[in-house]
Amino acid sequence: MKQTSHQFSENVTRALAEPTLKIALDRTTTLLRTRRAKVIDAFPEYAKARETAQKIKDHTLDNLGHYLRQFEENAIASGAQVYWAATPAEARKTVTDICKAEGAKTATRVKSMLGEEIGIGEALADAGVERIETDLAEHIIQLAGDPPSHIVMPAMHKTQEQVAELFAAKHKEPSEEQDVTSLVGSARRELRAKFMNADISISGANFLIADTGSFVTVTNEGNAELTTTPPKTHIVTVGIEKIVPSLKHAAVFLRLLSRAAIGTEITQYTTFFNGPKRDGDRDGPENLHIVLVDNHRSDMLSDFLRPMLRCIRCGACMNHCPVYAAVGGHAYGAVYPGPMGSVLTPAMTGLKGSKDLPNACTLNGRCREVCPVNIPLTDMLRALRAKQFDEGMPTPMTKWALRLWGVMATRPALYRFGTGVSNMALRLLARGRGKITSVPLAGGWTRTRDLPEPEAGTFMQQYKKRR
Amino acid sequence: MSRDAILRKIDNANAVRMSSDVAAAAAALIAEPDGYRATFAPQSVYDRFVAKATSETVTATVEDIASLEALPEAVAAYIANNELVPRIALQPRDSLTELNWSGFETVDQAQMNETLAVTFADAAIAETGSLVFRTAPDAPVLLNFLPLHHLVVVRRSSILPHMEDAFDHFGTTADAQRRSLNVITGTSGTADIEAKNVRGAHGPRFMHIYCVTD
Repeated sequence: MKQTSHQFSENVTRALAEPTLKIALDRTTTLLRTRRAKVIDAFPEYAKARETAQKIKDHTLDNLGHYLRQFEENAIASGAQVYWAATPAEARKTVTDICKAEGAKTATRVKSMLGEEIGIGEALADAGVERIETDLAEHIIQLAGDPPSHIVMPAMHKTQEQVAELFAAKHKEPSEEQDVTSLVGSARRELRAKFMNADISISGANFLIADTGSFVTVTNEGNAELTTTPPKTHIVTVGIEKIVPSLKHAAVFLRLLSRAAIGTEITQYTTFFNGPKRDGDRDGPENLHIVLVDNHRSDMLSDFLRPMLRCIRCGACMNHCPVYAAVGGHAYGAVYPGPMGSVLTPAMTGLKGSKDLPNACTLNGRCREVCPVNIPLTDMLRALRAKQFDEGMPTPMTKWALRLWGVMATRPALYRFGTGVSNMALRLLARGRGKITSVPLAGGWTRTRDLPEPEAGTFMQQYKKRR
Repeated sequence: MSRDAILRKIDNANAVRMSSDVAAAAAALIAEPDGYRATFAPQSVYDRFVAKATSETVTATVEDIASLEALPEAVAAYIANNELVPRIALQPRDSLTELNWSGFETVDQAQMNETLAVTFADAAIAETGSLVFRTAPDAPVLLNFLPLHHLVVVRRSSILPHMEDAFDHFGTTADAQRRSLNVITGTSGTADIEAKNVRGAHGPRFMHIYCVTD
């Protein structure tokens, strides 16, 4: 997708004006938050599981070179071919070359964020291969021509009504009813034959297992297995941080991933793959290609963004982010939206083109609280803000305002006088109505929301009065 | 070449962090699994499995049968109750094919729109109500994914407490792995439209489990 993070504020304006977006986001994020809370409450071992998961990821990252070499050796022994790509362009070229060598015409695809990150659609188009998305949400956005707006639920921005309209227009045998069950049935009919007849299948992997050379996919629809079994060739593109030492280490994450993402104890389908079809097997691909992608992950290892490599892509941070819930995933203008995206996008594509993202955060800390691997998202977002300032990126206006704030904050008497004056001014603006609908010079803030009327007196004034 | 450049960067970044005994450090992290996984004592392994498999989120149904020989009759009842055609995609495993399936049309692979398949699970996991399938020449993958009704046979003695136990049971080394190990927990579902849960997304819409008690 074309990155538009540099025009974040235009994106937000558009998102806020979109009449159905807020409805779709509210319906979905509310349900996901409720379900997660319920399943975590019923898991008294959660705190220990989270701590264990964090330790495993830290250990694996500390020994990443060892584990990647071990994985490579075991995967090759199982009959897979392993490739390494430093950049998205290299990864795309690898995929394009495999498709061309196979003479492939169609490819079925299992959703993976790494695929989005490297631009797998472009790679297939370059090889002249028709791409068929099989995850229901990816199928919806492929029909709509939209980029994904969430890492677990890419069609989160669509309402049920919009999906019904889309399927009625694009499916061969659309359902007459517009309830969700009928819509899902319509997609099932549409995709069945395509699963069976594709030349190539493409997936990501949720985990790589170093000591067996396996890779793991998790889905609720069963589309990973249906997609990757019939075609002759299966291509896996995966980030190098997805590795864990062993099968039993993976089990720790499987318990957390689905609880955090959708509020269930395990996904319906968890599959451990080892190499291509074997002698006597009745199904499975003859060729298996695994592309290991770096794309700045090795850079993140040596700076303050290192903890971000623990991320297992559950999406809980965005489901609990008030900014995400207001503007949706597209406003971020990048592959990874929400809090985790605001850390990853600058790391992968540079801070310059995404400098608004670390600022699109209230630092309320809910993202970190719900993160199953305890990533200090708010600390990193704050550090990215500091880095912007050090690199001279803020506008002159912001720099002036911060300097003024610095002067005030280091002079208590001046600070109290200033806040006392603004408190009075705001109370005057409220004119006893309990809210302020416009503030001079702050139209950008009050155009879309009201400010509450402040209390009578600043904190210090009230404190002195009551002491 | 990208491989060496990537690994060199990683090793440089980790120069002071690498463990001296990686295997021991990794093993220590998972030495006490009961601290971090859902335990269910005093509930029995069987009771936990049934409770989870038939829960609202997993949506399977479970029926005990006394022996494998009783399977064809039980399947006949399922087919009659659901008013299905008497055709079964039967996993080509001897323990299933040698049963008496007279009165049914049996096929050994699933067609694109197969209605019903009967397959044998190699193990089950009580913690989550999951079934474990390992691929083999007599256990292809698609039989578990294409049919609308997935009927699964599992021996009561092969229900294990946790996923880790299944790994131990089948072996954790590279050599011990089959082409794929499918851990299947109930029916195919999706929450992709407004997070509403719907069954029968791409895979089976119904799962019925026969637990053989012999």
